[in-house]
Amino acid sequence: MVAHTGLLSWSAQATETPIDLRAVTDPSVDPLLPGGGELVAFVDATLASGGSAAARRLNEALGRRALIAAAAVVGNFQMMNRVADATGMPVGTGRRRQDADLIEQLGLSRFDHLQEEAP
Amino acid sequence: MSLARLELAPRPGLGESLVPIWDRLGSAGATWTGAERVAIASVARAARLGEGSTGGLDPVAARAARTVAARPASIRRSWVDGVIAAGLDQARYVELVAVVGRVVAIDTLLEALGLDLEPLPEPLAGDPSYEIDRGARLGRAWVPMVGGASIVQALSLVPAENAELERLHGPLYLTFEEMADPHVDKGLSRPQMELVAARTSAHNECFY
Repeated sequence: MVAHTGLLSWSAQATETPIDLRAVTDPSVDPLLPGGGELVAFVDATLASGGSAAARRLNEALGRRALIAAAAVVGNFQMMNRVADATGMPVGTGRRRQDADLIEQLGLSRFDHLQEEAP
Repeated sequence: MSLARLELAPRPGLGESLVPIWDRLGSAGATWTGAERVAIASVARAARLGEGSTGGLDPVAARAARTVAARPASIRRSWVDGVIAAGLDQARYVELVAVVGRVVAIDTLLEALGLDLEPLPEPLAGDPSYEIDRGARLGRAWVPMVGGASIVQALSLVPAENAELERLHGPLYLTFEEMADPHVDKGLSRPQMELVAARTSAHNECFY
């Protein structure tokens, strides 16, 4: 989450695209990106196994090519999240420092379970 | 065949690039036979559907495949150490994670598009290659890696699996080289792609 929220912030800045990063952890927040609300709803519906209506809305908002791209990105991060969690991939101290404000603003530390024991 | 149907989509080459990756799940890897890899894939798929199949795997491997597939955020270092101590050595664990990750990725893509899941590949005969990188070292992560803990080297103890992850990462998201480009567009702008990536990670409670 830290890595790609950081890349979201970086790419939005580089492309001069308005973004509200709070949408990453709060789906009620408008991300401000074109089709951003539809993208968030699509991710949530796909991972809750009920994606058809959200897919239709995303298709209407951004088109079939964007729908396929979004589905592919969700698939990729379903893999990468498992690889990161199963191998104990740490967020490096450099990135923690660089993204300290973002981690605090979004409360991402609550997901940092690498050092904890499972309940 | 769902992957073949993806060729009809306005994303040239996507389905074509996934077919050989899917088929290789049925071939022997570095530490598991083709039949064992298909069994791992089957257990992983079933776990995401809430089913507790062992697929003929030994209980330790089946438990590991189920956990990585369905409850990755619950994984802790002590659990990984326990799985390895129970007989699933480090390389077999890394290859299992790789197989589960690929199945979940492609299953999710098809589910998201409302397509049927791809039938698991037929297992091919053959022995594992036993090709692991002896230069991998245990560092800040929980399994040995080449060159220190890095997400692009996460599976580098088993080089064929690390290479396969990179082969899938490109068509689904971005190649490792494309990641430096904030203006890249593959149907979504880079910020749109990153919103999807970050929201998926939030859903999975993956801190990394």
